[in-house]
Amino acid sequence: MLPEFTLSRPADIDEVLRELNADVVPYAGGTELLLAMKMGLLVPSGLVDLKRIPALREISASESAIVIGAGATHDEVARHELIQAHAPLLVQVEQNVGNARVRSQGTIGGNLCFAEPRSDLLALLAAFDATVLLRSVRGDRTLAMAEFVLGPYWTDRAEDELLVSVAIPRPCPTGAYVKLQVTERPTVGVAAVRTAAGRCRVVVGSVTEVPLVVAGASWDDIDADGIVAQVEPVSDIAGSAEYKKHITGVYVRRAVALARDGAV
Amino acid sequence: MTEREHGVVGRSVQRRDLLEKVTGAAVYAVDVEPSGTLHAKVVRSSYAHAQLVRIDAEAALAMPGVVAVVTAEDIKDLFPRFGHIVADHYILATGKVRYYGEPVALVVAETLAAASDAAAQVEVHYSELPAVMSAADALAPSAPLVHDEAFVVSPDESFTAMAATPTADEVLERDNVAHEVTLGWGDVDAALASAHLVVSNEGMKFPMLYAYAMEPYNAVATYTDHQLDVISTAQHPFMVRTDLARIFDLPLSRVRVQVPYLGGGYGSKSYTKVEPLAAVGSWATGRPVKLVLDVEEAIYTTRADSAEVNVRTAFDADGTILARDIEMILDSGAYADNSPLVVAKAANRSFGPYRVPNLRVRGRSVYTNTSPASSYRGFGAPQGSFAGEINLDKAADLLGIDSAELRRRNLVGPGEEILPGKRGLDADLRADLELLVGSLRRDASNAQSSGIGYALTASDAGAFPVSTAHVRLQTDGSVVVLSGSTEMGQGSRSALAQIAAEELGVELIAVSVSQSDTATVAYERTTGASRTTTLTGLALQRACADARAKAADMAAEVFGWPVETIQPAPGGVLGPEEKFVGFGEVIMRWFGAAAGEITGVGLVRRDGATQKMPPFWECGIVGVEVSVEPDTGQVDVRQLVTVADVGFAINPHAVEGQDLGAATQGLGAALFEELVYEGPQLVNPNVVDYRVPRMRDVPAKIDTIIVERRDGIGPYGAKGAGEGALNPMTAAVAIAVGRATGKWPTRVPLTPERVWRLLNDLPDDS
Repeated sequence: MLPEFTLSRPADIDEVLRELNADVVPYAGGTELLLAMKMGLLVPSGLVDLKRIPALREISASESAIVIGAGATHDEVARHELIQAHAPLLVQVEQNVGNARVRSQGTIGGNLCFAEPRSDLLALLAAFDATVLLRSVRGDRTLAMAEFVLGPYWTDRAEDELLVSVAIPRPCPTGAYVKLQVTERPTVGVAAVRTAAGRCRVVVGSVTEVPLVVAGASWDDIDADGIVAQVEPVSDIAGSAEYKKHITGVYVRRAVALARDGAV
Repeated sequence: MTEREHGVVGRSVQRRDLLEKVTGAAVYAVDVEPSGTLHAKVVRSSYAHAQLVRIDAEAALAMPGVVAVVTAEDIKDLFPRFGHIVADHYILATGKVRYYGEPVALVVAETLAAASDAAAQVEVHYSELPAVMSAADALAPSAPLVHDEAFVVSPDESFTAMAATPTADEVLERDNVAHEVTLGWGDVDAALASAHLVVSNEGMKFPMLYAYAMEPYNAVATYTDHQLDVISTAQHPFMVRTDLARIFDLPLSRVRVQVPYLGGGYGSKSYTKVEPLAAVGSWATGRPVKLVLDVEEAIYTTRADSAEVNVRTAFDADGTILARDIEMILDSGAYADNSPLVVAKAANRSFGPYRVPNLRVRGRSVYTNTSPASSYRGFGAPQGSFAGEINLDKAADLLGIDSAELRRRNLVGPGEEILPGKRGLDADLRADLELLVGSLRRDASNAQSSGIGYALTASDAGAFPVSTAHVRLQTDGSVVVLSGSTEMGQGSRSALAQIAAEELGVELIAVSVSQSDTATVAYERTTGASRTTTLTGLALQRACADARAKAADMAAEVFGWPVETIQPAPGGVLGPEEKFVGFGEVIMRWFGAAAGEITGVGLVRRDGATQKMPPFWECGIVGVEVSVEPDTGQVDVRQLVTVADVGFAINPHAVEGQDLGAATQGLGAALFEELVYEGPQLVNPNVVDYRVPRMRDVPAKIDTIIVERRDGIGPYGAKGAGEGALNPMTAAVAIAVGRATGKWPTRVPLTPERVWRLLNDLPDDS
């Protein structure tokens, strides 16, 4: 069961920033946080509820980027017309994150901050060259995905920082994301996209501690066997290291084949 | 059928519990909280096997809101154990712990939060003992003993009567074999030696399973002066009452067990589980105590037996089975619970519904330092049929005979005995097989890497026939039915209402059904083995007949009619010159007031139609078509066909639901579900990592065929449903995967990695 905690429900971001510290943490969908609290893995003394701050749920487009508020749920992202118009691959991925309850409750920001290595979004957003905006009373920081995600369940977010939004540079890359998923989370997930600059980029997720990014000038430069050699999966209930390496190769080839054919 | 012969039965009526459950209004045990209730949290063992040195509860007792910390020491003057076959199960670990997760102490507090916090502060000092974590470890020479003492096996005849042959007297030689059964006839060795072909499947592994019910085990108990009231998630409230009465040395009449709607059972809620814990909590504190387990605790309370099975079958050149030789070892965990019966049933069901002139089955249920195993939907049938049915397909290929034809040649026919001296088969499996294979082949894709598999089982179902029912006719002609059979989602409330309405000729809406309260309803031995429609249904028919007879007697008395001139009529009786009098009028005239009622009583025991065991055979007839992705090993189920050979479908839609539910649950063990131990504890004691089937796993084509030949002993020729379609599912899927890959699986679940390893001849992963 949940340990005791205080709950505050601020109406704006500044108020949130004044409250955050090592012991008082942001709370949105709760799909990761509350489970960790129930299991006794996290015991914060206070939660700051972000759900009543409309600004955190906004999705907007500028000339240079699509900006997604960190408090937008997976469903909200998948249904938003700007995302549907400009990032159809993100729509496809968001429609298949977790399960129906996770998609309706869980937020894109919570997903990234939890940095679960088997997150679809970590891999896809790395493929998109997305950046995250962190804010604290000390100021703003913008980090690339690779700078933000430091390891499993470990990000560069400081205890007093709030993840405000995710920005995907425009035009958004197109391509494919494929995954093998037997339980709640993928065993391997691979994104293959062609960037606006014409580069081919493959990101392997779930099977590695942090997403593995490989790029080349053409799809022929993507060496599936070379990627397999680079991943060092661990054997666990989802599969042996041997099998995970094997399917990494299978899914890299599948993702590249789909992207080459011009999937979304 | 031309004119419908029945008014109410045989129609797909709306479930009685539908609206309540859909709107969330339905009350489950977990919703019940008497005023003044305390909340309990269990302190559980952190070792698989260890001496209990000392329990230090002072810190926990000093915490705010904590009322009591109950340990074995506190209840030693009670009868501190339970178990309906072997009373080996300590309510709270005594002397030693036998598995990780075993209850060691019970913290009772004003709130669940206080109890949970305090539970973490109870210091338990252990001295670790060597543990046996698998059946192989447990059977090794000089293996550590899980139980150092042996307890007397229940002399209840109902237990031995359900095993095909009397089991050996309990051998008190100390080893880890909890129970052993042998079954057989003829000369197996001679038949094997002279056969045209002998086909073996060795080391066929069936996983440990968890019967995932949405409502975990929970109970609230109130112990007052010589009276214990318990509201819990028990499938068999009357059997739980017996265990509780023994613990507190109370008359059965002073123990009341009530079961509201059950949020799923699947056998896992058979017999006593958390009721003694809540009850000793209340006994110790004098206040109502509520205990609700979470999923992890539920998994550490009961699981299904894992098994390793060897099967050899001898054939004549034309495919006739000459002999079968089967050995099964079940890992039953730390306590016997129902595993002795599971292994007996596993033996009865292991060779399939085939003519086997020479048979030898040896089954052993083995104690290990793991979560205790007990009943699970199908009761030992899936474990055996997985090995036995693959064995038949393998043989069909070697003999060059179509696998359906091979089965056809060997299937037991209607009326023929499967077990000598037991009831003959009350089904036509050859005809059922035609329907099954016809449907599968009609829609077969014949694509590369796809395969069709089908399998058949016959289970000696119904359990021991002791059922009673009461009907109470009211002054307005409406009817109250009382039954001790639990509504756990299977739809018994609707089926019993239909039977009463049919028998008494009243509108369905005028019938109410009350179930599962040992203080007020009629006795029912169990709700399991698919028995309710058949046995409770028979008892209810007899109760209705009794009520009609009483109404006739009363009408004869008040109207001065000769009793032999009175005929039954819908909703009442017909007197001379076809004069109709409704039940309500009979009651009011007899009592001389607008008051009173008629109670009809129906009893079922081993007599007449239910003399022969089993009460009926529950057949499983299922098939699937799968496709396998060669580079990943992922299995996609494209077709699912089930044949419900139920004699007569009282509520056809409910029968379809039972078969689809059972088959889908069976897909779990075939493709996803497996509890995995690593060291003393489970790696996946939760439903995130223990993967149960989901909507997306359900095949695009589902064909649930109902066959009605009126060949059961139940009402209108009905037999039970509910377990049948699960039993052969593992086998059917494994056979289909075998056909798709060209390699016979030796282990389930067939996860993508296992199938990939099978395809590439790589060794098993663990």
